Amino acid sequence: MMASDCFHCALPVPAGCRLTVEIDDEQHPVCCPGCKAVAELIRDTGMSRYYELRDAPHPGTGRPPDEAAEWRVFDSPDMLDAFTERHDDMREATIYVGGMYCSACSWLIETTLGRQPGVASAEVNPITHRLRLRFPVEDSDLSGHLATLANLGYQPQPMSPEGAARPEVTEQRTALKRLLVASLGMMQVMMFAVGLYAMDFQGIDADMQHFLRLVSFFVTTPVVFYAARPFFTSAWRGIVARKPGMDLPVSIAVGSAYAASVYATYTRGPAVWFDSVTMFVFFLTLGRFLEMRARHRSIDRGAALSSLLPNTAIRIDNGAQTTVPVSQLVAGDTALIRAGESIPTDGVLASGSTSVDEALLTGEARPQAKGVGDELSAGSINLDNMIEMTVTVTGSDTTLGTISRLSEKARYARPAFVTLADRIASYIVVALLVVAAAVATFWYFADAERAFVITLSVLVVTCPCALALATPAAFAAAGSRLSQLRLLVTNGNAIEALSRVTLAMFDKTGTLTRGMPRITAVFVTDNTWTEKDCRLIAAALESASTHPLARAFAMPDKLPVVTSQKIEVGEGISGVIDDHEWRLGNAAFVGGGIATDDSSATHVFLGIDGSPVAWFELNDELRPEARETLETLRKLGIATALVSGDNRIAVEAVASTLAIDDVHFECTPEDKLAIIEGAQQRGERVVMIGDGINDAPVLAGANTSVAPAHGALLAQTSADVIMLGESLAPLTTAVEMSRKTMRIVRQNLAWAIVYNALALPLAAAGFVPPWLAAIGMSVSSLVVVLNALRLNRFE
Amino acid sequence: MSVLYILIPLALLLLCGAVWAFFWAVGSGQFDDLDTPAIRVVMDDDKKPDQDETRD
Repeated sequence: MMASDCFHCALPVPAGCRLTVEIDDEQHPVCCPGCKAVAELIRDTGMSRYYELRDAPHPGTGRPPDEAAEWRVFDSPDMLDAFTERHDDMREATIYVGGMYCSACSWLIETTLGRQPGVASAEVNPITHRLRLRFPVEDSDLSGHLATLANLGYQPQPMSPEGAARPEVTEQRTALKRLLVASLGMMQVMMFAVGLYAMDFQGIDADMQHFLRLVSFFVTTPVVFYAARPFFTSAWRGIVARKPGMDLPVSIAVGSAYAASVYATYTRGPAVWFDSVTMFVFFLTLGRFLEMRARHRSIDRGAALSSLLPNTAIRIDNGAQTTVPVSQLVAGDTALIRAGESIPTDGVLASGSTSVDEALLTGEARPQAKGVGDELSAGSINLDNMIEMTVTVTGSDTTLGTISRLSEKARYARPAFVTLADRIASYIVVALLVVAAAVATFWYFADAERAFVITLSVLVVTCPCALALATPAAFAAAGSRLSQLRLLVTNGNAIEALSRVTLAMFDKTGTLTRGMPRITAVFVTDNTWTEKDCRLIAAALESASTHPLARAFAMPDKLPVVTSQKIEVGEGISGVIDDHEWRLGNAAFVGGGIATDDSSATHVFLGIDGSPVAWFELNDELRPEARETLETLRKLGIATALVSGDNRIAVEAVASTLAIDDVHFECTPEDKLAIIEGAQQRGERVVMIGDGINDAPVLAGANTSVAPAHGALLAQTSADVIMLGESLAPLTTAVEMSRKTMRIVRQNLAWAIVYNALALPLAAAGFVPPWLAAIGMSVSSLVVVLNALRLNRFE
Repeated sequence: MSVLYILIPLALLLLCGAVWAFFWAVGSGQFDDLDTPAIRVVMDDDKKPDQDETRD
């Protein structure tokens, strides 16, 4: 167990690390010099309240970049013109700020930048994660402002100016207006409804009753035609596409209750339900609004794609190098890519040789060697050497762009899923109206004098409030409780889908494992050296490398000085320490070594002057809670399966540790999608848990999907539920919570149905006076809401 | 009771005014950020002196 977590980024502090930062006269541990620097910067600019105000951070956020990025290029006039808009003597830059996760972040950024000399204004939009920065033309220090953001631990990314408002902003504004109309309308109509009910007790002044109904009608009309319009349009789209969605029954209920009320108002009929209509619309709109906020908070589709690509690239024109925005690259251009940079477009390697990290695209953790003529994919990272590439495909036509489109498509094609509860509730609403009409007709002929009062009682006692509220109230309560438990629900269907899941499919790398290799064993073969020496020397050699394996070797101690470091592609790294040539890499490169049979691990050898000294075993460690989580899932009656793009041995090693029987390896995203579809055809309901970009289409194809927040943004855009934090454990919480929610929905529906089944015949037979009916209606609605609120106490 | 015939339409008129004002506020971007203002209020009260504080 680690002693403590980093005060700044919440990652565990490595053993032996003694760094601390003093804030408000207290020493707090930090995990690395970078975090210390960020925390001190925040303290020294007087912003230490940030740490009290922020939400608990996802571990690893807010860490400064490993190496200082080249911001200087953004100060050239060309780049300023490409990335800013001029308004008279001001420039306005739009900057995407990666790593923002709560409102304290936007406060920190706005205040810190706002105090900088040369900044006219800084506004952060927390929905789109975009910073609008205005500064005078004659004092254009864009690079300085970008560096400040980076020093605060965020990943700034200048965006090309966007003319139109972001779709998220427009969506939120419209939703807010609809919500306001629905809520104000509901309050007003309820007020009039109280008057109408009171008149039922005290005897009715017919003119006043008609007046109140007319007023209710005027207020309800915009609620139905403006606030509830999205339900009608989506229901109509469903009819046209012959795939009726959950909005169809909702629309029928709202529409028929409204029409019946209008008719009753016009004909001075026995009762109106404007109050039920507005309340139903309000709760539905509120639920949709909260859902939209959760979706916006976690996701930015545009940035999800572009944040993987560099902002700028070096283009070679007749031997001259110019730095250009990536958007200006076209097919046929030659681009220069240095070691450690990501590849901006799809292309073909034109000169040089290197290895690239394609883990984002393929899930394959090991670097791939590339020579002249090999294809390179946008978004993969050039690891070893400087290369030149010929651009073939740019923008959204690249492999990366295609994957993102594929996932959009799979999400769109998901079979329309009508929630059971909505369907039941809406059909019953319609049925009640029919019954009421029948009762009115019957009594009109049987006993015309009593017909009016009896029909009134029937309608009041069977007020569809309880039915209408049964589902939305429970889902709203569940959504808010889940977000407190660090689970964001971005799709309202996810709760019902999760409650019925029978098979959980996991991706391996980054989901069940940590996604980064660690040294699990060191074997020293030459006894003149200790294990500690070997690790220090390896760390020193790897300190210059950007290779993903290099991070596994990093040590907090003082490292020996290395000179003439050299990286051999696909072989290893060499360097001189104390006049001896050390090599770290594969066995042949080091000068022979012990062959090992366990090929699920990666082996790295260390040698001096051509003879081996030690070897390291590296493994992508399982998450510590993975085993327990999977066992709990199986106890909940959910089968587990593993689908991975990785090789057989690595996958089977993980599967046997976690006791997973259903194992698929070396899968492409298409294979994974086919496996899921196969399982669905066998009648399984599948939840997919994955974090990689290559998982995005698969996540969208499953019945429901979960993505951890530390994974690729693109995976999160396809997932229905996002798990905040590093752990897998919230997954079982999500399943249990969804089942509990559905249990409460069923209880609510059962209560509403039983209540109506008992009350309706009594009222229809004329045994229930209107005042008793009004009490019965209120109590039945209250019971439903209170039952839903029990979800807030779920542990 | 007959006063209601005047008061309720008056209330509805006020309601329309409120809705119009809210729509205008939303349209001008005042509700784009629903989280940060809550924090800014807390901050402005407490730690102003930091602004002039200089550390080396």
